[in-house]
Amino acid sequence: MIERWALVSGLRGDLETYDLVQRDLKKTRGVTALFVLGDLVGPERNCDALLDRLRNPHRGDLKPDCIYGWWEEQLLAERGFRGERKADALRLSQGEDAVSALLNAVNPSHLKWLASLQFGFIELDCALIHGSSSDVGDNLTSETSPLILLDRLTRLNVNRLFTARSTKQFHLELTGGGINSQVKDLNGKREQQQEVPKRSVIGIGAGLNYTLYDIGSDKTHFLTAGSKTNPKGKGFV
Amino acid sequence: MNHAIISCLHANLPAVEAVLNDIDKQGIDTITCLGDLVGYGPQPNEVVELIRKRGIATCQGCWDEDIIDGLNACECSYPSQLAERRGHLAHQWTDDQLTDENKSFLASLPTSLRRDRLLFVHGSPNSQHEYLLPDMDAFAALERVETAGADILFCGHTHQPYVRELRDGSIRVRLQNAEHGNDQGEELTLPMRKIVNAGSVGEPRHGSTNATYVIHNDATDEVEIKEVAYDVGRTCQAIVEAGLPKVFAWRLSHGFEFAEQAEDASHVCER
Ligand SMILES: [Zn+2]
Ligand SMILES: [Zn+2]
Repeated sequence: MIERWALVSGLRGDLETYDLVQRDLKKTRGVTALFVLGDLVGPERNCDALLDRLRNPHRGDLKPDCIYGWWEEQLLAERGFRGERKADALRLSQGEDAVSALLNAVNPSHLKWLASLQFGFIELDCALIHGSSSDVGDNLTSETSPLILLDRLTRLNVNRLFTARSTKQFHLELTGGGINSQVKDLNGKREQQQEVPKRSVIGIGAGLNYTLYDIGSDKTHFLTAGSKTNPKGKGFV
Repeated sequence: MNHAIISCLHANLPAVEAVLNDIDKQGIDTITCLGDLVGYGPQPNEVVELIRKRGIATCQGCWDEDIIDGLNACECSYPSQLAERRGHLAHQWTDDQLTDENKSFLASLPTSLRRDRLLFVHGSPNSQHEYLLPDMDAFAALERVETAGADILFCGHTHQPYVRELRDGSIRVRLQNAEHGNDQGEELTLPMRKIVNAGSVGEPRHGSTNATYVIHNDATDEVEIKEVAYDVGRTCQAIVEAGLPKVFAWRLSHGFEFAEQAEDASHVCER
């Protein structure tokens, strides 16, 4: 039997979008897990209703497993959950107004729960992280240097890294290559050869754009919630 | 032109003097120091003052950073809990000994120095606490040099000198599930890069008691690892007299750190 994961990110308080995703998933065969890879909150709208729903799923909802993302990091930092650090990255990129909008968008009663969320999940040989192990804000795309992508996979020692920060959908496979290295020390010289491991980095999208991942066949499907004509969605219903 | 790179002096004055002497004898006048002026050893003020007096360009090491910022690194700075306890003792002792002036000198040190295509750091471009071991994943090693925009990366921190050349690298990639049918894939050719670890002047762990440092020729890119004998007994005696853990003296007289290799060298402290 098919077993697949659904991966969502960048909801930023949008309950309507989440509802559309849940409706889609109800019509999809074989979905055993729903991972929400961060950015549950954002400054654009009040996020409390979405957070309530994520924390207390409706009957029939696929139960979401959430991690925190870049926006949660900014919120938690500003609210004093990150030691000395404040929402510096947000302040720098979008100014003081965005910081206050973010603070206003989330009722403080949710902070403890948000602070309890993990940085990432390791499932099977896959890492599920908002950015990468290097940083929650690490913006990986299919254009990122393969050397950096390989480094991010190596740091976690996983075969697949699911990332959300860039909001892009892509599935980039490392298919081959290698490197020679020579080490010289006081004991002499030695040569080493290393091959590129078969690994991949998958961008899962954001908002309405979400991803299904078939565990058995290692296939990704990039979908848009609520769209009747999902070009690659045939066969899911 | 030849220039010398020294690292991890660790308050061992006789070793520092012997190495500087060896460099002077060869008529080399550009010296770069990769930090860890203090820690473990018995003469932190003397070593810092010697480096200051000679005007040696220096970047900040992990010990220099911890003395300034306090020990707020996670336990990952130490390879074992025992090493951590001894490390804390040495930290406290060094903190008590160092003059305010020498502390502010350590605080003023940059985390990296750059001269054209050469980059000088203590641990790695990411952190003073990251170990770039000679056998670490070659792609990850190359990534450190490449992301930092350097041709040659000089580092220390492992106390084991080595020269690593990374070449003939390539990575093939293919977009699966591409928008326009099947992607043919492409190949990225990786540049040749070098990592040079200067070893340690004051606390060698390469198997002998000699101090180590390196000489690089910036015209030919030849690198020579140098070993210098010094009066180990003098330093060991000063360690015992200072009341520092005796194991530091024992280690110096044996030339390696017994059972204290980092278990997960790739771990980067995320405090
Ligand atoms: Zn050191
Ligand atoms: Zn160090």
